[in-house]
Amino acid sequence: MQTAIRRPVRPTISHWLAPLVWLLLLLGACWGMSWLEPLFRLAEPDSRDIIYDRADFIVLLGRHLQVVGVAALLAIGIGVAAAIAVTRPAGRDFLPMVSQLASMGQTFPPVAVLALAVPVLGFGNLPVIVALLLYGLLPIVRNTLAGLESIDGGVAEAARGMGMTGGQRLWRVELPLAAPIILAGIRTSVTINIATAAIGSTVGASNLGDPIISGIVNGNIAYVLQGALLIGLLALSVDSLFARLQPGSPD
Amino acid sequence: MRPNSVLISLMLVLLATWLGLDAVSVAANRIVPGEGVGVGGIAGWPGVLTSLMPMLAVLLLAWRPTGRHLRLALMLVILMLTALPLWLVVAAAATVDPSLPQARMAIGPAVWIAIFVLLLALIELRGRVPLPSWQNGLLYLLPLLSLALSLMLDLEPLALRQEYQVRKSAFLTAIGEHLLLVSAAVGISLSLGVGLAMAMRHWPRAQRFGFTLLNFLQTIPSLALFGLLLAPLAWLSDRYDWLAALGISGIGWAPALLALIAYSLLPMVRNTYVALEEVDPGVIDAARGMGMSRAQIFRQVRLPLGLPVILEGIRITTVQGIGLTAVAALIGAGGLGRFIFQGLGQAAMDLVLLGALPILIMALLADALLAALTEKIRPGGTH
Repeated sequence: MQTAIRRPVRPTISHWLAPLVWLLLLLGACWGMSWLEPLFRLAEPDSRDIIYDRADFIVLLGRHLQVVGVAALLAIGIGVAAAIAVTRPAGRDFLPMVSQLASMGQTFPPVAVLALAVPVLGFGNLPVIVALLLYGLLPIVRNTLAGLESIDGGVAEAARGMGMTGGQRLWRVELPLAAPIILAGIRTSVTINIATAAIGSTVGASNLGDPIISGIVNGNIAYVLQGALLIGLLALSVDSLFARLQPGSPD
Repeated sequence: MRPNSVLISLMLVLLATWLGLDAVSVAANRIVPGEGVGVGGIAGWPGVLTSLMPMLAVLLLAWRPTGRHLRLALMLVILMLTALPLWLVVAAAATVDPSLPQARMAIGPAVWIAIFVLLLALIELRGRVPLPSWQNGLLYLLPLLSLALSLMLDLEPLALRQEYQVRKSAFLTAIGEHLLLVSAAVGISLSLGVGLAMAMRHWPRAQRFGFTLLNFLQTIPSLALFGLLLAPLAWLSDRYDWLAALGISGIGWAPALLALIAYSLLPMVRNTYVALEEVDPGVIDAARGMGMSRAQIFRQVRLPLGLPVILEGIRITTVQGIGLTAVAALIGAGGLGRFIFQGLGQAAMDLVLLGALPILIMALLADALLAALTEKIRPGGTH
């Protein structure tokens, strides 16, 4: 059962090559942005400042990852726990409401969620984390529910027949079988959150969105390009990392 | 009969937040921070007790959830939702000093949470009380009517309404721009998507590459994509006068539309491809056996059978586009996002709401309408 959902072992380096390359490009761009100055000069020939220098790119990257990471960890913890709780006999009553809420919440635009979090929580990192958490929860809850519900009744029956307790069935049978679908939900959630966190720099959170916003405000396209390049590379690194973790995904 | 634990927990949350949090906040003008007022500060003890009655009643009904009790609980929940706007009118009259024309009242956390919890209760009850569809529609109409009535009657001091009054025409323009951008993006990506999906069916080699590229585009965060499009478009419009004459530049609707199309392509192509590809081979065989030509099979079998899946793609891209267009306001594309970012800039939260609430409602409406349409045209009728 376990082997069925794991990929066959492959030479490790080539397996992790794509995420590694994206990651190296990202770090390289963070540290070596000033070397690219002639290139950005093409986009902004008249401006004095070409390279965004109000903060180190690596610091901005760290803050971006911190906000997304905290929100993702909380969302995974709460989301998976909630989905498990409503599929146990004691919490079954809540299942219809939670699953409807999770699918309805998907239609909420992330920007609107972020904008609505600010009046309640003020400016800064906190509303961004809360908005990312709320929005990131939904794909995780929905996919965990889908994963747990999709398990063949015969499998659960067999596990019960083997004398497994409820907890053992959950940890050894249900969660491993649902893992690929749960992971797909986490991937969606994190991808959306990297994008939404960037918009968070309009509400006072400092991260990789800063150069873009500052570039738009000051009419400096070079800043915009630097921020966009880094966020794009970050999103691609994280996404390709998930693609390797996720068995049976197309790329 | 087991008590309905969902309704009971919802009502307990409602009771706690209703009594514990601020119902409205009142400010003398737009600049000073508002001062929170609890439920007790608005209508005194008699008012608080009256407002608690329906909540307690639902709590009791949920203890023994027979069919009749749940139906009654549903009516009470609707009643509470209908009463909320009228209650805001009372709150405005009680808390806002009429001699200050600038005074305004913002909706507080207790009321927002009440709306949310009551909607959750409505979802729960709708799953358990079978109703014919016209009654179903009527249920949602009542609270909306009451909201419209109170807005017309006497909600002058409501801050959201004041923000709207000041920029009535800008608001309508923004909604128009928003809808125009979304529908243009969906329309263009639909025709492009159908073409691409057909091409992929024709040249299977292109399929893997195409999907990889579209996946790649989808991964790039919206703000980054808008930013990356800025430079080449600005360069192009500098270079070619006719592009500039069309209104294309680095800032504005052109990069927004391009980015929206880029994002819409993946769901559109994927769904169209799946729709055309995954028709049951037996059905195609049967059609061929009846002597249909390839073109006939495509028009009369594949397309009608695949239409619901294509519509699903349209639904995903429309809902996604409504949200992304809000971000596009940052690069000057207009739309409702402008109010959000203006509001955030001025720390005027009611202005943020004026942008965010319609976006939310538009997304929910588009989702519901397109889902209903998909259900309607599904071959074999509604399920």
